[in-house]
Order: sequence, then structure tokens, then C-alpha cells
Amino acid sequence: MNAPILVVDDEPDMCWAISHLIQSQGFNVVTALNGADACFKLANGDFSVVFLDAKLPDMDGLEVARRASTLGQGRPNVVLVSGYHYQDDPVVHDAIAEGIICTFLAKPFTNEALLKTLYSLLPTDR
Amino acid sequence: MSDNSLKKSFEVRYDMLLNAIPSSVLIIDRQLQVLSVNQNFLSKSLRSKESTVGRLLADVFPLVILQSTGIEESIRNVFNSGVAIKGQKMTYRAPGVPLRIYYYSILPVPNDQIMLIMEDVTEQVRLSEEVRRVERHLASVVESASDIVLSTDIDGRILTWNSAAEKQSGLTTQEVHGVFFYDLCDANQKPAVRMIFQRMKAGNEPHTTEFHLLTPSKGGSILISWVFSPMLDDYGKTVGTVVVGRDLAERRKLELQLRQSQKLTALGVMAGGIAHEIRNPLAVCSSSAQFLLEDNVSPEFHKECARKIQTNIQKASAIIENLLRFARSSLDTDMSELDLITVLNETIELVTNQAKVQKIQVQLSVQKPVILVTGVSGLLQQVFMNIFLNAINAMPQGGMLNITVNTIEDRVIVRVTDTGVGIPPGELEKIFDPFHTSSPVGQGTGLGLSICYSIIRQHLGSIQAESRLGQGATIVVTLPLL
Repeated sequence: MNAPILVVDDEPDMCWAISHLIQSQGFNVVTALNGADACFKLANGDFSVVFLDAKLPDMDGLEVARRASTLGQGRPNVVLVSGYHYQDDPVVHDAIAEGIICTFLAKPFTNEALLKTLYSLLPTDR
Repeated sequence: MSDNSLKKSFEVRYDMLLNAIPSSVLIIDRQLQVLSVNQNFLSKSLRSKESTVGRLLADVFPLVILQSTGIEESIRNVFNSGVAIKGQKMTYRAPGVPLRIYYYSILPVPNDQIMLIMEDVTEQVRLSEEVRRVERHLASVVESASDIVLSTDIDGRILTWNSAAEKQSGLTTQEVHGVFFYDLCDANQKPAVRMIFQRMKAGNEPHTTEFHLLTPSKGGSILISWVFSPMLDDYGKTVGTVVVGRDLAERRKLELQLRQSQKLTALGVMAGGIAHEIRNPLAVCSSSAQFLLEDNVSPEFHKECARKIQTNIQKASAIIENLLRFARSSLDTDMSELDLITVLNETIELVTNQAKVQKIQVQLSVQKPVILVTGVSGLLQQVFMNIFLNAINAMPQGGMLNITVNTIEDRVIVRVTDTGVGIPPGELEKIFDPFHTSSPVGQGTGLGLSICYSIIRQHLGSIQAESRLGQGATIVVTLPLL
């Protein structure tokens, strides 16, 4: 069984949609509705992939990603999922170049695209 | 003393007396011969005593004067009737001397003589002409002004009404003379204008306001900005009112354009927050719809997806509706009774998205659930939108936006406080100036707060700023309560 996947979004319906999609593929999902909760769960759990909203009520999504990137070995692959940014947004481009996030998914997304992203980021050895 | 010496001394005294009179005096007999003349006449006419006394009037006065005044005929008439002629006007010019103007009287004196007294009134005439000229100049200043200038008596009855007033109202001076000025105002503003006149009576303070002037011939009214000034007499007592008015149509048109362009700027600032807020429900709808397309969907999950789609479409639609309301509201400019708290809540709702994106908490504290004021809800919303967005822009690292509403006596005070970068001391007095901006070129027009200022003034309120650099800023808006 794969390590669980963390879904971070302040919109419960958004968490519901992404969780349902991932769970339908047989993965475990943990959700967080704000940045502090996400950071706490990242520090105390082992996640393979994080689907992260860019704008959270208490902190910026990229700040959560930055903290996740300091977790060292076994750090998760982070996907920024946002309606605030766009595909060739310089902010997104810089975050990928810095290695803080792996990729970006614009809202609204197709379920197929989200799953494709998920599978591309899952460790191949498991 | 002998008779002779007595007579001599009498003649000396008579001469002294005559010469002391500051008017020209001539004694003339029935043959129009000059019997005696005083020094004043000699010096004014530049004549010697020898060339005057014993001569005929025709030799003493220039022909042109004798002809124009008919003075010889007048003298004969006085001799015949014994009735004096008084206060006639004569212009006399001795060679090499500027023109002088005299008033003269012809008085019968005993022993068949007459006395011609000529008084030099050149200076008085000049002064009165000067006064008339100044009066004419002042009148032409008032008449040439493109602003309405009128004066009223202490009760507000119109006394004068200039050309601009005639032109703009379509009412002639004759039509308005004696009419109460407030009877020319829009019906629902009449009591307020009548109050101004009562206040003028009591105090010496000028009063500035805006209201509509009726234009009966054109049907309708025009909005005018008015300044009422008390007219004081020499003792400082108010005896009337001077009213100056300027047509606001042009200025209003310009203000409307400015407000609209400022609004577009605000919409641009809000776009980021709105994009995020609308794309979230869209993403939920999109995923739910895709779930429904799958095979083997359980009836419960089918319902759940449909419900999510429904609620999220409503969410997106609500955001768009707020936006529409903000974009369109300025077309409505009629003042009406409204609840300030509702206006504030609706405006806060509009900026919530942007605040959320920047991690700013918005808090509204009110004393009462409903606070009624007179105003244009769309304009007031624009004012608060501006102030809120400025505050949000001042907090790029997040913070608190506090809005407190208090009523004191006949006013309501809205304080909008941020925890942002604050305003440097030198900038504080400039922030309401048009085109003053602290934003980089291209990011702010610098018109936002100056438009707020004009809108709040139109609502008879005031707007002020308090701040210390690094400690946030507070914008204080005061409005009169209904």
C-alpha cells in the first residue's frame, strides 16, 4: 500500500472532490483545511504526494511547500493546485525551478489530468 | 472818527469779508456792469481787479459761457422779478487752466443790484463721477460673472439677480424681484434653504452647500454649488445675504468619469481575488460533473454530486452578482434613506476574496444593527471599497482590517484601521489630493481618495486620515445621521 496522499484546501467541497477522486483509485487520503494543520500533518506523517491550494487563510500555499521541502528524506512531491495562478505564471515557474513544487495544476482541472499528475509523481519502486 | 474815515474802515471790512468767502462773488448793476468782485473770482479767472471792476459782464466772461448759460438773461429776470435763481451749473475755463465746474446763484440785493455767487464744485463732481464709475464697474463685474450672483434682504427676498442667474434659471430680474429665494429651490430642499437664511440672520458665518435651482421655463432644475455670505452694514449687523452659485453639471460629468475610471481600477485590483474565488467552485462543479459521467454511480453519490454542483454554481454566481452591482451602481445618483451597516456589509463581502488571498482578517464592529443616513448607496460603497482596498494593499504580508462604526450626537463615524505599512508624516496631508499616489507608475491612478473626498463632501460629511509610519493607518469617515 502506498503512503497516504495529503490534500490541502480551505474549501471543504474542493477537498471532497479531490479526495473522492484519489480514493476511487484505492489510495488513502488525509485532508487539511489550513496551512498550520497541513504543516503539522506533514511533520508528523509520511506522505507520498501533496495536492496543495495556493491561497490558504493563514499562510501562502508556497510557504507550506517550502516547509515541506525541508523535511529531508522521504519528503513528498508537491502539486500546487490553484485558481489564482496560471500555467506560465512566473511565480509557478520560479517555484518549480527552486524545486519547492514538482508541478502545477490549474483549477478547474479534469479528473483525468489530476490522476495523470498523481501517477506521474508516485514512486515507481513501490 | 470822521464820516470819511468811518466809510473807509467800513469798505476795508467789507472787502475783507468778501475776500474771505471761498466762493466767487460779483456785485452787478442793472446795466450788467460789475460793481465789485472778490479775490476768489480774480484768482479763478486769472483777471486783475482793474480789468474787471467797472466792466460789463460781457467783457468779463467769455462769450461762449454767456451764450451757453444765458446768464445775462437770467440776471435781467432777477432784476425784474426780484426772485433769486439758485443752484445753476456752469463750466468755466480760464485760459491755460483746466476746466472748472461751478454752481451759481443770482440773488437780488438792495439798491438795484444783484449778487452773483459762483461755487467751484469741480472736485465734488469729479468724486461723484468716480463713485458712479466704481458703481458701474462693480455692477459690470457682477453682470459679467459666469457664476450666479444674487442678493437678498435679511428674510431671503431677492433684491438683485445677475445675467448669469437669468440665463441659467430662465427667470428675469423682474420675475424674481421680491420673491423668496427658497421658493426657487427644489420642493424637498426648501426647508433646508430656509434654515440657511435663518442661520445667516443670527450669525456672521458664510455657508456652503449644494442644491437644485428650479428652471421653470426649461422644466426641471439644475444642480448648483452655493456659497451664502452675510451682507453686513457699517456696524457689522447682518442686513442681507449675498449668494453665489456655480453650475455643477460640467464638474459632475467629469467627476462621474473619474469615479467610473477609478472603479475600473478597483475592479482590476479585485480581479485576482475574484479569479481564485470563482475558479474554486468551478473546479468543484467540474470534478463532480466528471464523477457523474462515470459508470456505476450509486444513487447517493449521484445526488451528492448534483448538490455540490448546485451549491457551487450559486457560490460563483453570488460573487459575480456582487461584482455587477459594484460596477453598475454609479449610474444611480439620487440621494435616498439607506442603512450604512448594509452598505458596509455588502462592501466587505466584495473585498473578502482579496483579503483572503492576502491573509487579512476583516472585522466589523457596530454599536447598532441599523444606522440610517441620506445618501447614494452605490457612491458610499465606492468610497468604502476604495478605503478597504487601500488598506488591503498596505498589508502585503497579511494583517487585520478593523472597521468600527459609532454614532455621536447627529453624526456617524466610521473608522477603518489597518495594520499595514502606514503613511509617512509628509504624505498624510496629500493623500486626498488628486493624482497623489504611493503606488509604482501604472499601478495606481492616485485618484481613489480624492474621489472618496468629493463623494463624502457631496454627502455633507468629512474624511480624514491618521497614521504613523510602520504602525498602520486609520481613515475616518464622518456622515450626518438621518
